[in-house]
Amino acid sequence: MPPAETSQATHDTEPKTSAQPSASQGQPTNGSTATHPSTPGPSSVQAAATPPANEEKLSNAELKKRAKAEKQAKRAQKKADEGVPPTQTGPSNPLRSAQQQQRQRAPPTPREASIPLPSLATTRQQGRQTQSQTRPLPHRLAHSTPQSQQETQVVENKNVALFEHLYKQPRRTTIAGVSKDVYRDVLAEGKSRLKHYAEPADNIQMIESYVTPPGTSLPRNLTLLLSPQIEYLGSCRSLSMSTRNAIRWLKLLINDVDIETAEEKAKSDLCEAIDNFIREKIIIADQLIASMASSKIKDGDTILTYAKSKVVTKTLLQAHAQGTKFKVIVIDSRPLFEGKELVQELAAAGLDVQYSLTHAISHLMQSASKVFLGAHAMLSNGRLYSRIGTAVVAMNASKLAKPVIVCCESIKFTDQLALDSIVTNEIVPPNELLLPEREGQERKQALASWRELPNLQLLDLMYDVTPADYIDMVITEYGSLPPSSVISIYRLSLST
Amino acid sequence: MASSAESPHEAGKQSFDIVSTYRSLLLSDPELTMPVAAIEALVSLLQNSPSLSTISEILDLLASNAEKLKQSIANPISLSAGTDLFQRYIINSLQRGGPAGAAGDFDAIRAHLLTNGRLFVARAKEARRMIAQTARQFIKVGSTVLTNGGSRVVSAVLQAAAEAQIKETGAPRFRVVYAVSASYKNSYGDGGDTAEGTATVTALRRLAVPVAMISEAAVAYSMGQIDVVLVGAEGVVENGGIISRMGTYQMAVLAKASGKPMYVVAESHKFVRVFPLGQQDIGVDQNVLNFTTKVEEVIETGLLTPKANFASRRIAGESITPDLDGSGYFGKDALHDSKNADFVDYTPPGYISALISENGVLTPSAVSEELIKIWY
Repeated sequence: MPPAETSQATHDTEPKTSAQPSASQGQPTNGSTATHPSTPGPSSVQAAATPPANEEKLSNAELKKRAKAEKQAKRAQKKADEGVPPTQTGPSNPLRSAQQQQRQRAPPTPREASIPLPSLATTRQQGRQTQSQTRPLPHRLAHSTPQSQQETQVVENKNVALFEHLYKQPRRTTIAGVSKDVYRDVLAEGKSRLKHYAEPADNIQMIESYVTPPGTSLPRNLTLLLSPQIEYLGSCRSLSMSTRNAIRWLKLLINDVDIETAEEKAKSDLCEAIDNFIREKIIIADQLIASMASSKIKDGDTILTYAKSKVVTKTLLQAHAQGTKFKVIVIDSRPLFEGKELVQELAAAGLDVQYSLTHAISHLMQSASKVFLGAHAMLSNGRLYSRIGTAVVAMNASKLAKPVIVCCESIKFTDQLALDSIVTNEIVPPNELLLPEREGQERKQALASWRELPNLQLLDLMYDVTPADYIDMVITEYGSLPPSSVISIYRLSLST
Repeated sequence: MASSAESPHEAGKQSFDIVSTYRSLLLSDPELTMPVAAIEALVSLLQNSPSLSTISEILDLLASNAEKLKQSIANPISLSAGTDLFQRYIINSLQRGGPAGAAGDFDAIRAHLLTNGRLFVARAKEARRMIAQTARQFIKVGSTVLTNGGSRVVSAVLQAAAEAQIKETGAPRFRVVYAVSASYKNSYGDGGDTAEGTATVTALRRLAVPVAMISEAAVAYSMGQIDVVLVGAEGVVENGGIISRMGTYQMAVLAKASGKPMYVVAESHKFVRVFPLGQQDIGVDQNVLNFTTKVEEVIETGLLTPKANFASRRIAGESITPDLDGSGYFGKDALHDSKNADFVDYTPPGYISALISENGVLTPSAVSEELIKIWY
């Protein structure tokens, strides 16, 4: 996204007040599951009490804009949660951590702020209801009530407005409140997913644990049994494309089980099918891709890659093992530094590696001869959905007419499409952008108290979308193809 | 290209020489293209190998002979399109099952394969006529067409267009600009008859189509007066780009820069599962840039001497006689024009407005889908 747009959007939604740091992160604000002016100072109460007038002050255009944004967010969310009932609460939550702490106590409520919730009429919810009904986007309120500005202690919305919908994505931090139906293996998998932001390509393997423990349940019950597992996984982090494809496949498979089949046989059949699926779609696919892609590496090449992708790692190591003489440039970025792992692996294997961060990309690209990229998903319009920063690398490569090759298993192909990185994405708690505090350091890190700094929002996204124009070739287990053929391979892989 | 060279089957080798069959096929019919000739050679190979008794033997034999064919010529891209397609076709028809499939008895399978193979060749030959009928509509009355090389499909298209316009209006109402490789003059000095595409030019002029012959260096100069660029291809690669006569790429770049549409006419048996990332990745070792400090080289070999490069490569590598007459390349035409016939370049799909095959008009991105249809 162009920076100009960001700054504009940010500016647009900026409250005029200088926010007080009163409700900084983690403060257990007396029962307000939801949003925000969590410090119940008298002035904020006043503010909450005067809303209808404020509501009217919003211009039509503003209202429209807001409605549109909400709708869009809802749609994206719905899509993202396919089959997962919304576990998430309330409208814009400015304080993520506070919200996360509260989430386990919060019963699931509809996302739609304007729907009254008569059945959940505890005092807590009531408070929230009034808030959400009257002040759906609190910073607007601040904006439109200049008379109360001086005394109001409004908490600034620290979410970037353009990405507001993404903050609603569930992100579970503890296992408290998890349905008792969720199996232990799944729990563990979910927990590890919390720790590792790098999505493992083979997280389909968790499905194995869905099936093996079901004990006495009939095949028909299995589907029912599956949903809490999937829901739980989805609540840890939004599900990746490959996971979703695998789940869809598994559900179809279970539906196809003949009800007459003996339970033991049905179970062993299912497990076998799952094993085969994992072998075919991930293990063998990876090997095939690595061998095809490594044949594209020639003597004297300089391969540039970004962050770390399993298949790309495999490809580079295989090409090296085959005796091809080539150099590797690894471009990395904060805050994940996945490339460091890759560099270690490659260097240990004896490859000639150069490591740098994205700022050096336009310089380093000149000495590269090919660019290999991994994928989180290949979208049906041929675009690549991958670790944020990939698009910049691909753009630089295509500006210099360097071939850009994406290595991607067909299980990551999807019929979804995206035109930008805004609608579908994942937000990382922005604190991760901050540099860690060093021992014995006198001064605090510059942004350590960013929540107290007025007019400042941090944004840390997980993915971006690379236009198909920047991609020359996609290597899958079916062979190499142009990005325009992603959709036909997707159909093909559905049918097999 | 999946075929392996070290196939164990050597039985058919003594009795049947695939390479000479292929060459004599090409020589006997000037209308025959390399992939079709290769397929025909493979069909007659099957016919002449009665000792085969299992399917895997058939496949091995096909693979080893296809590889031998590929080795025998300098640039096997076009040929491999034919052999790969045929091998795939055989596998598919074996997988189909039934009396002629894997379940049937072996003689039936062989007979089935032979008839299918013939059908295949017949269809491939028919393709050119169908392309001409489709592509001639792209040549509008009053337009000027730029072309190059010695493509027989292009020739068929231009003649079909001329004939159609004669039928409708009494005379052909388009002009042709024929870009001829400058290097043939270096090699022959006298130009004239030896130029590649001379046959096409003559045929067109007989039909009263005005034809201008220009050197490749004059393409950019002439581009302003051109309405449409029409070229053939040796192979259509997976992303919809083409591998074609050296000079096509620069023509495409110039056409794009001037906003002129460029159409490629090629039979679908030229679609090949090759995916070059650039000029150096075509899969043929052309050694175009031949750096030297020897002064006499200029006089001895001229500017473009692929023959020398190829010959050295081939002689070094294999025992097969160097194909010095170039007949392995473009059939009979190439016999007269061996000096510059061998170089090819790769035109990326972004420069191509449309590909016209017997299956209709395709965008470059549709090529990969066609290939996926064939292969899966």
